[in-house]
Amino acid sequence: MPSMKSRRGGGSDRGGIRKRGPTRTDRDGDMDMDAGGSRGKGSRPEASRSGAGGGRPAVPRTGGTTAGGRGSGRPGRGGRGPPRDMNVDAIQRAITSTESQATIRQNRQNDRNARKRESVPFSVRGWKKSKVASDKDGGVEAVLAFIERRLNSLTKTGPRVRVTKSRVEGDTVVAFVHPDLVDTMLRINNNTFAGINISVEPYDPNTLAEQEIAAVQTGPGSTADTKAKMTTILGKRFYPDTKLLDMSKLASDPDLQAMGIFNTTSTESKFFPALMKVWDMGFKTASERRAAVESASLADNQLNNITVVTTLAHAVPDIKNLDLSNNNLKDAQSLIGWRWKFRSLEFLDMTGNPFCTDPAFKDTMLKWYPRLQKLNNVQVRTPEEVAAQKKTPIPVRSPHFLDESQIGETFVRGFFTGYDNDRNTVINNVYDDNSVFSLNINTSAPRAPNSETAAWDEYIKKSRNLQKINHLSARMSRSFKGAEKIREVWNALPPTRHPDMAAFPEKWLIECNPVPGLPDPTGQSPTGVGGLLLTIHGHLEESVGGKVEMRSFDRTLVIGPGAVPGAIRVVNDMFCLRAYGGHEAWIPENTDIPQAIAPPASGPVSAAPSAVLGGDQAQREQLIAQLSAKSGMTPQFSEMALSSNDWNPEAAWKNFEQLKAQNQLPPDAFLAPV
Amino acid sequence: MPSGEDTLTKVSTEAATEFVQSFYPAINSNRESIHSYYAPAPSPVLFNGNPVADGAAVQEIFVHQMPAAVYDVQSYDCQIINPAYPTITSAGPKPQSEMGVKDMSILILVSGYVRYGEDPDAPQRGFSETFVLVPNPSSDKARGRKEWLIQSQNFRLVV
Repeated sequence: MPSMKSRRGGGSDRGGIRKRGPTRTDRDGDMDMDAGGSRGKGSRPEASRSGAGGGRPAVPRTGGTTAGGRGSGRPGRGGRGPPRDMNVDAIQRAITSTESQATIRQNRQNDRNARKRESVPFSVRGWKKSKVASDKDGGVEAVLAFIERRLNSLTKTGPRVRVTKSRVEGDTVVAFVHPDLVDTMLRINNNTFAGINISVEPYDPNTLAEQEIAAVQTGPGSTADTKAKMTTILGKRFYPDTKLLDMSKLASDPDLQAMGIFNTTSTESKFFPALMKVWDMGFKTASERRAAVESASLADNQLNNITVVTTLAHAVPDIKNLDLSNNNLKDAQSLIGWRWKFRSLEFLDMTGNPFCTDPAFKDTMLKWYPRLQKLNNVQVRTPEEVAAQKKTPIPVRSPHFLDESQIGETFVRGFFTGYDNDRNTVINNVYDDNSVFSLNINTSAPRAPNSETAAWDEYIKKSRNLQKINHLSARMSRSFKGAEKIREVWNALPPTRHPDMAAFPEKWLIECNPVPGLPDPTGQSPTGVGGLLLTIHGHLEESVGGKVEMRSFDRTLVIGPGAVPGAIRVVNDMFCLRAYGGHEAWIPENTDIPQAIAPPASGPVSAAPSAVLGGDQAQREQLIAQLSAKSGMTPQFSEMALSSNDWNPEAAWKNFEQLKAQNQLPPDAFLAPV
Repeated sequence: MPSGEDTLTKVSTEAATEFVQSFYPAINSNRESIHSYYAPAPSPVLFNGNPVADGAAVQEIFVHQMPAAVYDVQSYDCQIINPAYPTITSAGPKPQSEMGVKDMSILILVSGYVRYGEDPDAPQRGFSETFVLVPNPSSDKARGRKEWLIQSQNFRLVV
């Protein structure tokens, strides 16, 4: 059986890092984070959902399910050298010595460094009045090219400088530049561009909103007055109970008429964006704003296209219902700005628009909005069809977690807490002269809908994306070997905060599998030693320059026995960072326990899981997991029981009951005391 | 004679690059060749948590059950796990004296996206994939022989 044993016992540990009981996973294979104190209460909703345990709170499991009897790839077995104990104490120390619950902003030095390197946003205005405004893109490219030309001519020496990032907000281009260029950027203020003086000022979202509101001002009075009037209008049009924002029939709104909004084409085109700005200001956080509205209406507005109202998609990105009826939208092009917006849209009313008579209308809308179910009050997709779209050709299963005496689990729990709070101690305890760390950034990874990605400035010079880093010297300098080099790079990386595994297990996907053939740090075993391969996916918050950013990560670690008996060392640590991608992708597709002989999953998109797995292997996996859950036996014994009964679950269960009644099952047939 | 860091880095990163640049095109459009990337008894091979027995089983799935798919690698990195990986050949464990710089096991972490189906507008799903490559234990000198093979693979959709 397992060759790597942890030293159990010692009740003095604190903080719930060391588990006092067996590893427990729920049906989804998520680690049961509640193993210590409240065991046996049976109160976990996930556990009760899982059912087949007959009311047992969770499925104890030390080995996970084995793949068709291939569970023998355990470290230390199969002639891979002498078994060696791995001990959790090292990790334990890493954690227990972390006294402070440091906040992510505590590391001031890091913060200062961070602020120094973060791109700085500037508001560039005035270009809309120039002749480039008639360019296809409204002149954005031209004004950015101008800024870069000016920057380069003002800096003169050194490499060519660039605007690192930009976006358009109303009449403003927000241009980001390297912090070293701040002063140069300010010198461009009032430069003449395409016959017009443009303004270049430090970006301030509030000023910007004020300017947009001021642009709508029609008569005497302050911006504050305009804002107050708009707030009143929004108040009349927002129904918090039904989460409806009703922007229909705007032209006949007496309040808007009284403001003189429709007297000039300029105010007519600008009031809606301004209104949305005022709407934004009404919320403290973006998530509060997003949650406030589920339905929006722009009905009866004589819209020829959505240009004027396009910022609705920013103000209420997550709406499920949208009423655009009785406008003058002629074709897909008139809606093009919303092609990739409203990703949660389920209901769309376009009746009374010429576009509806277009033969491609329905198909286009179905294609644009993957969750759309009702179009013009006709069902165009069932909820099942919507759900089926999310299925993948390879069904998503719960994590494959084949631990050794909870070493992997204990390590993972301790590791991320340590990485967040006290990186030095983690390095002292589990990194040695041969440990290797490297980082790679996927700057173009798919991301969660409606999420924004922070700049990668902090990381890009350390990123060892071999697709881009081709020179041997760079490949060498971006790989960090040995505790001291790793310490140096870790201390230069932004402070992080990972979600609490106990509170948010769903935000993590953690898999653990044995890996043989690791170098033996003692040099005794020429055939190497066994360890664990941990693959972890999740997200983290990092603090850069006082701002908190969310990013997703993938981290693969190889851990093995250390040089000192009982110690654990990190052999490899590979860290990939990418834009926030959420955690929906790894929610298992079938969370219910499948029937004994699982019927092929139906659905137009996904293939049957058992078929995908090439025969009955998946089915066997499920049977093993089921019997293990029901009987409390280890997967190995469950597999034996099943295979000796021709994989008939009922026969295997009867067999189990018989043997159990006759007391013929050894204690180690069970995962834990039941 | 242990190799220097520069040689080790060169060999490992070139092996990883060669692997990534041929394996993903193979699963996109040359699925009949998939089995040839795998060691004889890989463990574990996981796709979204589903264990698959070996290279032949992976190929079977991709050839017969997977729709068309476009895998696009956006970022990858590698590290050496063991510079002197204990390869078991048909003649038993390879003696240290016969080992060269290429007897290393390599860990690869890939990040990219996959688009399933023929529709170029289908959503891009982010994936993360980890490989352990080990030296090819067979001593045949056939053309196109791969120097490293997949000993372990873990694919996960992550977005």
